[in-house]
Amino acid sequence: MKGIRHLSEPFKDPLYLVLLFFSISSFLSMVSCSKKAEQTPAFHATPYTIQIPLHFPPELNIPANNPMTVEGIALGRYLFYDGRLSGRPGPDSLMSCATCHIQEHSFVCGIDHPVFTGGHPFGLTGIPTSHYMLPMINLVWTNHGYLWNGMISEDNPLAGYRTLEDVVSIVIGMPEEIHGDTNRTKAMIRQIKGYPGLFNKAFGSSIVTEKNIARAIAQFVRTLISADSKFDRFMQGNVQLSGSELNGYVLFMTEQGGDCFHCHGGDGNPLFTTNLFYNNGKDAVFTDPYDRFSVTGNAADIGAYKAPTLRNLVFTAPYMHDGRFSTIDEVIDFYSSGLVWSPSISPLMHHIATGGVRLTPSQKADLKAFLLTFTDSTFVTNPAFSRPAKMPDE
Amino acid sequence: MFRIHKIIAFPVFLLILCSCAKHHSLEITPIPYGNIIFTFSHNVNGESLKFDTMLYQTSLGNNYQVTDLQYFISRVSLHAVKGKWHDITTDEGIHYIDSRNNYSCSWWVNDLLPSGSYDSVAFTFGLDEKQNTTDRFPNPPERDMAWPDILGGGYHYMKMNLKWKNDTMSQSLPFMFHLGIGQIYAANTVNPDSIIGFVQNHFRVSLPCKLDLSTGGYHQVMLLMNVDRWFDGQNAFDFSAYPNGIMQNQEGMFRACMNGKKAFSVTITN
Repeated sequence: MKGIRHLSEPFKDPLYLVLLFFSISSFLSMVSCSKKAEQTPAFHATPYTIQIPLHFPPELNIPANNPMTVEGIALGRYLFYDGRLSGRPGPDSLMSCATCHIQEHSFVCGIDHPVFTGGHPFGLTGIPTSHYMLPMINLVWTNHGYLWNGMISEDNPLAGYRTLEDVVSIVIGMPEEIHGDTNRTKAMIRQIKGYPGLFNKAFGSSIVTEKNIARAIAQFVRTLISADSKFDRFMQGNVQLSGSELNGYVLFMTEQGGDCFHCHGGDGNPLFTTNLFYNNGKDAVFTDPYDRFSVTGNAADIGAYKAPTLRNLVFTAPYMHDGRFSTIDEVIDFYSSGLVWSPSISPLMHHIATGGVRLTPSQKADLKAFLLTFTDSTFVTNPAFSRPAKMPDE
Repeated sequence: MFRIHKIIAFPVFLLILCSCAKHHSLEITPIPYGNIIFTFSHNVNGESLKFDTMLYQTSLGNNYQVTDLQYFISRVSLHAVKGKWHDITTDEGIHYIDSRNNYSCSWWVNDLLPSGSYDSVAFTFGLDEKQNTTDRFPNPPERDMAWPDILGGGYHYMKMNLKWKNDTMSQSLPFMFHLGIGQIYAANTVNPDSIIGFVQNHFRVSLPCKLDLSTGGYHQVMLLMNVDRWFDGQNAFDFSAYPNGIMQNQEGMFRACMNGKKAFSVTITN
């Protein structure tokens, strides 16, 4: 009885009751926390860190909801190269990203493509794409929107039109491209032996979803980094440029020379693009409904397109959004003397009064020699970017 | 047993109470510092700058329109009445402004500025020799201001991309009003091989104002640029005189910078 009295006495003390309440609450919350920790699924994909090459921007465009992982990239590589992404089993209905994005051409189809005549691809329906292809290089640094007109951008008010993941989803469905059907593609990939396991490793679920297909491919595409050209090695102090290349360098980087750097970067910007949009004086009249104006509604953007990277220029013909130039020489001739005035011509095309920058033949040769120092053969042969030796079901 | 509980419980409870009381006292203790936000506004003779429209005319009769206006200010400082000053240290005192980007037109300064009266705000237009180093800004948008190494390196102080037209012209022409490090050429050429020296064209701007920085809260310091001032004044700027731009024309950049010193004013919202 004495013991019982002792035990009950503290409960009559209000202070003790307050302290007891806090103690029980703390204990319960600790228990609840530890229980939550136990319930967290044991999914741990291996984080993948992009190594920033010397002089390249440290800021990367990787969305927080799709962090790079070794498993995600591996899955994305399979999907990038798997023609069954179209959701159709027939051998004449297979289409993958790699059908058009060919590594040896820096992931454009190339001007000499046996099917896509002149380098202009078309989808499974036979409908050609609105524009020719942009090289798929260093997209992890794209910061002003994807595609020639930058329509897919963080600024786009429409959800589903903002990220590289969105580009992948759109491309899979577009009649001008893979012309897939979400359900058919998911069903096709799901039934292929090996894929559910790869999805599980990459995303913690073996369920094949459109979102995770896009996430995986986007992760792989973000690894496609070109940073091993002669120019890169020159900037690192490892090689010297030839006399002609140096002359071209000066022309590239000076306002009264070729003045390429304002749109295409250079020292200070090794991406060789600002990723911005310019009407570079190709035409006087514009009929393309998919120029930059179609995105911004600003009349100053009529006829404007993204300045593409100049890296691996030698592999990426034809040039311009409409593929009008087949060779680098034609492009240089255009900027030298072929510019056409229009009300919306970019203010950066300040040589318009003379029709261009008026290079001499030797200057043109020097400029071309410099442009060719952006050639990165490692990029077009890197096995990590190529078709896997075996697909998941092989 | 119960006594032990009480002995432990009381000090713990008191500790909690003390800790709460301490936090509370932090909130009410006056801090002798104020905060400021810089905002940037761009106009043409008092009217807000409208882009891409041929609305403006220089004193020399050149009509012009502006497409892009991007620039750096640096070494920003506030000067107190008694000769003391405070150098802004946020972002190393450097701010990049893109007039088409609202985000860049507000600069929240983290510096705790001593309360009191200030009678001027000063800044360097562009970047000086110590701060204007190549690769300082590896990321866009500042990166896209890079000034070629062979022309002096570092960054453009300002990019004003515009078009102009006078009465004798049938169509407008682009003009790149770009400022940065100038070059001295050995001969009458613009060949970079003949560069014998560089000219630092940055300049200091000091704007009298009355800023009473009281404790707490934010005071707004609005820096206004009258775009037209770059072209008008004692060094009236004629676009036709520089058909190839001014990046490689020190005389043109000098003329522009002389005008630019009078392009700014300040408004304080206490």
